[in-house]
Amino acid sequence: MLLARRNLFQERTRFGLSVSGVALAIMLILLLNGFLTGMFRQVTSYLDNSPGSILIGQEGVANLLGATSTLPDGAAARASEVDGVERVVPILSQFVILDLHQKKVPAYMVGYLPQEGGGPWAMAEGREPTADHEVVVDLVLARRHAITIGDSLDILGQPFTITGLSEGSASWMTGFFFVRKTAAEGLLQSPGATSYLLVGLSPDASGEAVRSRLADQPGVDASWKTDAAANDLRLYARFFSAPAKLMVGISFWIGSLVVGLVIYTATVERQREYGVLKAVGAGNATLYSVVVIQAVIAALAGVALGVLLAYGLAEWIMAVRPQFLILLESDDILRALMFGLAMALAAALLPAQMVARLAPAEVFRR
Amino acid sequence: MTRLALRNLFQSKARLVISIGGVALALMLMLSLDAIFAGVEERVVAYINHTGADLFVSQSGVRNLHMASSWMPASVAEQVADRPGVDEATPLLYHSNLVSVGDERSAAYIIGLPPDPAMGGPWSIAAGRTTPGPGEAILDEGIASTTGVGLGDEIRILGRTFEIAGLSEGTATQGGSVVFISQEDFSQLRPGPPVISFVLVRVRPGADVTTVAEDIEAEIGGVTVLSRPAFASEEQKVVRDMGNDIVAIMNIIGFMVGLMVMSLTVYTATLSRRAEYGMLKAVGARNGDLYQTVLTQSLVSVLVGLGIGLGFTLALAAVAPRLDVPLTLVVRPDSVLRVAAASLVIAAVSAILPIRQIRRLDPVMVFRGR
Repeated sequence: MLLARRNLFQERTRFGLSVSGVALAIMLILLLNGFLTGMFRQVTSYLDNSPGSILIGQEGVANLLGATSTLPDGAAARASEVDGVERVVPILSQFVILDLHQKKVPAYMVGYLPQEGGGPWAMAEGREPTADHEVVVDLVLARRHAITIGDSLDILGQPFTITGLSEGSASWMTGFFFVRKTAAEGLLQSPGATSYLLVGLSPDASGEAVRSRLADQPGVDASWKTDAAANDLRLYARFFSAPAKLMVGISFWIGSLVVGLVIYTATVERQREYGVLKAVGAGNATLYSVVVIQAVIAALAGVALGVLLAYGLAEWIMAVRPQFLILLESDDILRALMFGLAMALAAALLPAQMVARLAPAEVFRR
Repeated sequence: MTRLALRNLFQSKARLVISIGGVALALMLMLSLDAIFAGVEERVVAYINHTGADLFVSQSGVRNLHMASSWMPASVAEQVADRPGVDEATPLLYHSNLVSVGDERSAAYIIGLPPDPAMGGPWSIAAGRTTPGPGEAILDEGIASTTGVGLGDEIRILGRTFEIAGLSEGTATQGGSVVFISQEDFSQLRPGPPVISFVLVRVRPGADVTTVAEDIEAEIGGVTVLSRPAFASEEQKVVRDMGNDIVAIMNIIGFMVGLMVMSLTVYTATLSRRAEYGMLKAVGARNGDLYQTVLTQSLVSVLVGLGIGLGFTLALAAVAPRLDVPLTLVVRPDSVLRVAAASLVIAAVSAILPIRQIRRLDPVMVFRGR
């Protein structure tokens, strides 16, 4: 252990560079995971914060963001007559692309009835819309594009006045904005249309039985909001998991190569000393452990620094780009540690092989 | 001095392989992320570019398909067809939704086509019909293959069952596909007054596309008219604007990782040859010559790393379509140029530490065995 540590720390700059290399690789892995976790949290924010526990969509629709739903006429009235249903909140919702300062900004429009609910769940400033030309925009979206209360916003060719800014409704992929349902009907050329019903149950109702009765209504599907949120997550994960896995894979191998380079160089430089150790009776196992301990120390130091850097950078990114939510969870830290140890073992392979092949007599012949 | 640099660099093959591998991976990180977004941009406009339309007429303010919706009164199609300079006008219905194929649910652009459409249908058919009839759907061949369905099998859209009547080629998008159904079926899936989403316009031979576009926009209220290239460009801009920030952050990290790996490599190579550099100084070599040696090593390593990183990324781009992953990578020349420029900066900056090391080197120390 002492020998491994001394060998590693003898050249401090080299050790520092290697720890930095591993740290950057770990930081990248953590940030990628943090981005995905944060994005997934934001994806379900509407379903997490809107009223009710059941989502009724058009038949075949069990998602919110990933689907377009148009309910049959009278669906809301039929749902409110079902035993066990306490509250039915209709919304008309749809992704739209906003053109803000020469930038294309995907945003999710929610048309709601202010007296029923389903609109913004936390207002940062201003008030909810009281007329069809008024809109509440997500606070982060507004700040990113320097728009504020009183400004005009063009939505699908129609001018709207911003009356409020909502909180907790942002995402780097999309932000929410809220208009009155009648305004959304006009924008989507769908008078009287409803996309979804958010259904709240009576306290004494048997949830699954009510959901089943709602699902039996003609032309609709009824899902638990938690299931609809899980479906949205699955859909988004399908888009992003392949690129993220590719990035994480590349980062892992960069980290392994960085540790490998350092341990290999340190081993080559101490080849004579390893030979002497062999000549005086040290077994291969002892020498392997010297190599592996060096790799583990370098990797663990890199992991520790990488975790700190990831936290620091995540905070900085969220400060300058508030649309990003980067969530670093304890599971991710644990995974980074496992990655670090795996890097150390992969990195120790080549030097360990070299030590194993070393003939003690060669040392004395040189 | 260049020869000395190359000999020094290539003396330890294992170290060279590890260090170049590290740089190659760091540069690949930058290249592949760019390539992923470029791939998305390319795939996302495949349908638009193959519609055969000169102009796209949409609801006022709608300038693209992805994550957008456009609804206009159905009468707009006839109004457009009557404008001077218009040769053909094909109304389309469109929205993005989920399609259930077997047990799989995937995102899709659902396109509602009129009977015998002049434009906007599938442009390459692997098997079956080119236009869907009532109750029929044309599905992407790749999606059909990965989900194990074929002609005559069923898919479900918005709770309704459709028979697969055709398999189209080139209609897969990032994580989804384009599915064609009849306009009649589409209208039943979307209850409400008769509407259309877009009108595809082919202008008469000899007519000016811009003039026809301006005329339609001026004479028919509540519509936006864009040429196909402009519409495709707006579509790509959506992807670009969504990805810009994340690509910039990842590029900076890739750059830092590459810099760190290269610094480590050149520093380690210089450190292990400290005695030889001291000897060269002792026999009269100037610092400038030795700096050149270090810089050459750094430059060669980075350029070889860039070549390998680029090769890996191109190989990945070639292999990805054959694997069951929703990834299309397109390596663009401007991306290669940018990463090459970053490589040169990495090579120059990574030589700073070793150069400082050499400058401080005292030739006398070499003879004292230090």
